[in-house]
Amino acid sequence: MARNIVVAGVGGQGIITTARILAEAALIEGRNVLVAETHGLSQRGGSVVVHVRVGDVEAPLIPPGMGDLLIGLEAIEAARYAGLLAPGASVVMNEDIQPPALPRVKTPSLGELLGALKAAGLRVHSINAVEEAVKLGDARSANTLLLGYATGLGLLEGVAAQESLEEAVARVIRRSRVAVEAYRRGLQLASGH
Amino acid sequence: MPHREVLAEPGTRVVMLGNVAIARGALEAGVAYASGYPGTPSSEILEALGEASKKLGGPHVEWSINEKVALESAYGATLSGVPAMATMKHVGMNVAADPLFSLAYTGTPSAIVIVTADDPGMWSSQNEQDNRWYGVHAYIPVVEPSGVQSAREAVIEAFNISRRHGHPVILRTTTRTSHTRGVVEVGEINVEAVRSKGKFKRNIDRYTLVPSHARKLRIELLDRWERIEEDLSRSSLNSIEGDGETLILGVGLGYRYAKEAASLLGVEARIAKLQTPVPLPRTFLHKALEGVDKVLVLEEGDPVVEQMLKAFLHDEGIRVEVHGREDGYIRRWGELGLDNVVEALSRVTGVEASLPKPVSVEASLPPRPPALCPGCPYRGVYPGLRRAVRSSRAEVVYSGDIGCYSLGVLPPFRVQDTIVEMGGSIGLANGMARVAEGQVPVAIIGDSTFFHSGVTGLINAVHNRNPMLVIILDNRTTAMTGHQPHPGVPVDAKGGEAPQVDIEALVRAIGVEHVETVDAFTIRGVEKAVRRAMDYVRREGKPAVLIARGSCILVALSQARKLGIKHPVYRVNPDKCMACTVCYTAFNCPAIFSLEDGKAKINPVLCTGCGVCVEVCPFNAFEPVEEPSEEWILLMRTATPG
Repeated sequence: MARNIVVAGVGGQGIITTARILAEAALIEGRNVLVAETHGLSQRGGSVVVHVRVGDVEAPLIPPGMGDLLIGLEAIEAARYAGLLAPGASVVMNEDIQPPALPRVKTPSLGELLGALKAAGLRVHSINAVEEAVKLGDARSANTLLLGYATGLGLLEGVAAQESLEEAVARVIRRSRVAVEAYRRGLQLASGH
Repeated sequence: MPHREVLAEPGTRVVMLGNVAIARGALEAGVAYASGYPGTPSSEILEALGEASKKLGGPHVEWSINEKVALESAYGATLSGVPAMATMKHVGMNVAADPLFSLAYTGTPSAIVIVTADDPGMWSSQNEQDNRWYGVHAYIPVVEPSGVQSAREAVIEAFNISRRHGHPVILRTTTRTSHTRGVVEVGEINVEAVRSKGKFKRNIDRYTLVPSHARKLRIELLDRWERIEEDLSRSSLNSIEGDGETLILGVGLGYRYAKEAASLLGVEARIAKLQTPVPLPRTFLHKALEGVDKVLVLEEGDPVVEQMLKAFLHDEGIRVEVHGREDGYIRRWGELGLDNVVEALSRVTGVEASLPKPVSVEASLPPRPPALCPGCPYRGVYPGLRRAVRSSRAEVVYSGDIGCYSLGVLPPFRVQDTIVEMGGSIGLANGMARVAEGQVPVAIIGDSTFFHSGVTGLINAVHNRNPMLVIILDNRTTAMTGHQPHPGVPVDAKGGEAPQVDIEALVRAIGVEHVETVDAFTIRGVEKAVRRAMDYVRREGKPAVLIARGSCILVALSQARKLGIKHPVYRVNPDKCMACTVCYTAFNCPAIFSLEDGKAKINPVLCTGCGVCVEVCPFNAFEPVEEPSEEWILLMRTATPG
């Protein structure tokens, strides 16, 4: 049994942190885990993708077509890496668009992107995680909010249970009070579905 | 980054970055001296050792000025009798190649491991060179861990091999080992060894490479090389599993792809794990090849093992099919991927592959290259530079260099006409200055890169009277690789105090007559200073230096959080904004967006409070939500890491 999770977004959004939390939680439950990260130049506001593989896996990268969940911190980047997913896989996405820092590029709308993901046969679950996180006091907690949301939707089975994920948030993030609150808020939002 | 997990309790299983596992392995092997120059994907190894050293009281850890000095320092340490390590990215080894070749001749009375972190796929590099060739070229054995899972043991074994033969060992890692996190079970740190000191024992015949000594040492080296090869055939790092007519030779990380691809395809194959690719262990290969009629070689980078294997098969008169990168079964460029490996294995074995077809999303997505951060001190320098060049009517060549400022290559800035290697900006400008007719070279180089290898080119420019404008972008850190210190800041590798080398004083001492330091956060200030320097260069026919100083905003923000200083956020007054677009096109700050009507809006989450937009806007539409504090204004200009 293996779980292949793609975490995508814009450099600076806490993508590596999100993946580290998943890895730490998997370890708490005694599972094998590999996280292939993007460092260096691309981290400066560029497109960032991290491959998280849990369970019976050896190689660090998810082959195209074998991803079963995508956690997208930004909509354009979620669409960009959706090609790693299997048909019918799930996407948990932050309803946020950051236009690339290039003059005069055309940015697709959120509606267009959601439509394209659904038309590709993916199960898309989106929320405005930044807005919710700002309410809790720190926009940077949008990532743990999305993790809570994915947990609540039952999409992190085979990775870790809620208790392990909460503990992992506290282990990975220093001064983690808001991050943990955001995680719980995400859970709550999922139960309203 | 602290990397505290490097000190995890012995016997525990922890999630660790490959580079941190390498650092941990070195501590368990008793490394007493470590040096390096930052470079993706190698930097975290030395960072983690610095963190460990703070708690353990050893090893000695330092960031060197460049890779050559890093290797020479580690060389000096190991000649003084302690286990040493030098770390660098692949292209850094080109800089360190001179001492590397000598090291194989003299050998070491203790142990030394040189870590090269290669970057197939060029995620953060200018080329895809495979540094295992250096092992072949310099007669230095190469150990290549099969992923993060084996990185710790591989380093320990690399030190053992080095100690046994009194010979250097190269540890070759790649991006997907260095920057993959995985579960690592750690052992005991050799605390006594990491704190140990040695003694240099004079041995003139061995350590002075004058021709009469070197000739003898060359014969010794070739003899040692034979013994190392025999030893590696027995190494615990290499193993054979499974059986079949096909051998998958999994070199380093290639082994992980071999395992997973064979299981996905459901094929019976023999898999050999080879973690010591150089020199090729012949006895081990004989065993792996018994009864096999086909071989698929999986390795990251060039067909290094594949070519050596073919030569070995020829010498031994063994006839088997060999597939890999040379015949295109595995593509010649980029990283290994499971899809490519499964396809290759399917071709070799004739077993049909049935990987799921990936979904295809129909949307036209804009590219998103990395960009200068909101608040980056360089964002204001580039428009200032361009304005000055325009008004001076000079024809210029922007000779660029390696660092965050390389992003000036992108629109709207376009102020990097060449980017080739560390220090190349000033180096190339020397030649351009003499033959590029009617053109003035403008060399743009960062602070850390200037120390690394820019200063030598500048000395050359002064002595040879080569006219050029050199702009040193001083953001008080080595930013792109994760904010390591450099000789120009008062911090060392462990975060302690250190003497700082003053760039302006250094440049004056070299003999540059026109030197000016300017605040990077003012466009007009930069523009005027560039004009003055450009006029000087054209009038006098000599080099001039402009130092544009402003702290990396990420370092300033992190210091502000620690010190409890709030950074301001700016906003747009919609009544004043005339939708001229300058702020989000020509200035191109990622925190400023265009609304439907073309007016600007600031994303308060992304705004870092540099305030340069105030100067950019011709209509005074930007204003701080709260007045910036004196402390913040100072911090933006002075913050250093640590």
